[in-house]
Amino acid sequence: MTRGRHAARASRPAGLRTLLAGSLVALGGLTGLALNMRTGVSAGPAGPVPHVAAPRGRAAALASASQSGRVPAPLFLVIPAIGVRTRLVQLGTAGDGTLEVPQHADVAGWYTASARPGAIGPAVIAGHVDSLTTRGVFFLLRSLRPGDLVYVVRADVSVVRFAITAVKLYPKAGFPAAAVYGPVPYAAIRLITCGGTFDHSTGHYLSNVVAFGDQVGRAKPRPGG
Amino acid sequence: MKHVRLTSALSAFRHVLAACALSLGLLSIAAPATSAATPAGWLRLAHLSPNTPAVDVYLYAFGNSHARVVLHHVSYGTVSPYLPAPAGVYTVAMRPAGAASSSAPVLSTAVHVHAADAYTVAGMGPAKGLRLQVLKDRLTSPPGHAMVRVIQASMREHLVTIRAGTDLIGKNLAFATATSYQPVSHGRLTVRAAGETEHALSTLTLDSGTIHTLVVLDEPGHLRIDNLTDAAGSKFQPDGGGPATGLGGTAPPRASSMTWLAFIAAGLLLAMTGLIRFRRDRRTEFPMR
Repeated sequence: MTRGRHAARASRPAGLRTLLAGSLVALGGLTGLALNMRTGVSAGPAGPVPHVAAPRGRAAALASASQSGRVPAPLFLVIPAIGVRTRLVQLGTAGDGTLEVPQHADVAGWYTASARPGAIGPAVIAGHVDSLTTRGVFFLLRSLRPGDLVYVVRADVSVVRFAITAVKLYPKAGFPAAAVYGPVPYAAIRLITCGGTFDHSTGHYLSNVVAFGDQVGRAKPRPGG
Repeated sequence: MKHVRLTSALSAFRHVLAACALSLGLLSIAAPATSAATPAGWLRLAHLSPNTPAVDVYLYAFGNSHARVVLHHVSYGTVSPYLPAPAGVYTVAMRPAGAASSSAPVLSTAVHVHAADAYTVAGMGPAKGLRLQVLKDRLTSPPGHAMVRVIQASMREHLVTIRAGTDLIGKNLAFATATSYQPVSHGRLTVRAAGETEHALSTLTLDSGTIHTLVVLDEPGHLRIDNLTDAAGSKFQPDGGGPATGLGGTAPPRASSMTWLAFIAAGLLLAMTGLIRFRRDRRTEFPMR
């Protein structure tokens, strides 16, 4: 009995160890698979954010309800927090009625049927998260945080400043069209790109990342002021 | 004896399972979901009483004697931008321009701000009989239309009729009243406000998806129409879901899933081997059973 127990004690760890080792390997695989499924882009390292300075120029006043005449067209978009500095192309709708997207992944585009940045309403700007081979202009959009500043330089060299209020991930089928394109009583910005899992069979991401922002400026009333 | 060992083997398994569940749980918690509190509602303050001198307008959160916002020297015809305000009760007070903030206000009113709603609080009427009116503003428009409302703030013309293009917006509107919002065909329109003796013409562009308040004001010798944009959306909402703004160049290649699956299979195989060996060892230990 005593000898038998000794023998068992000697052999048990070997069997158990193999069992545990196997379980750990399987667990590692499961974790990797889950990470992989969760989002197509999070597996890769984010890498350093290129240094981009805030644009200098005359700060645009807060959008006024009695603004007469046209607000100047947007030309450039600058987001220092994620190293974005791009010219803005103009976007309409594609043949199938969906939002047109920029032809190149390294520029963002302003949807011309949305508000001009700095006028009352949501200014909608779309950019690619990646191309077939490399990062797009909005690769880091999902890492924007509330309070991060977004600058739009307009045709008259005035600069409209927005502060991010929320960054959210939506499945394509559940895209919040009203929240993105619908009316608001102040000047707002909506930055759109792709995110979530990449579906290799269709060649598309399954979700969209949307960053919401409100104009901030000199005329912003201070609490208690 | 055997029972005890089995239990320990099972509990080892349970630990592994728990670790699996835990790591998966952590993954789902780490999923990107940032959000911030958006302004709960909006308030704007206006002076629409023609013969009342400029005022200072104070906005207080209910029960707080420190003003949240003070607008100095607000004169007739002025409408402030919307001020974001968390849902709750506020007091709007008017004092003569330059009066001490500790002095008694000329008039004040309470405003209940609901989340996602917007309000205009306007001093209206003649100087004698001035009152603060709370108007609920509209923030949505039916697809393909612009929405318009009129505030009649002309004292010289007591009754004003206003048309936008061919649409009649208000007939014989009395001084210090407001119409409700109504849809108008969008585009470039001529808006005409006519009283008994004076009138005003204004050419406005009212885009679809926008909501406007037209204010009829006294100007020396004539009427004026002030066009306020209460809210604006996109002229057209694109169809379909979200735009296709990615081609997968930074997504992990499809093969990588297979790698992880291979890991899982190899791990399970190893675990099975371990289990079999463990059981065989136990059998040699207790040949009688």
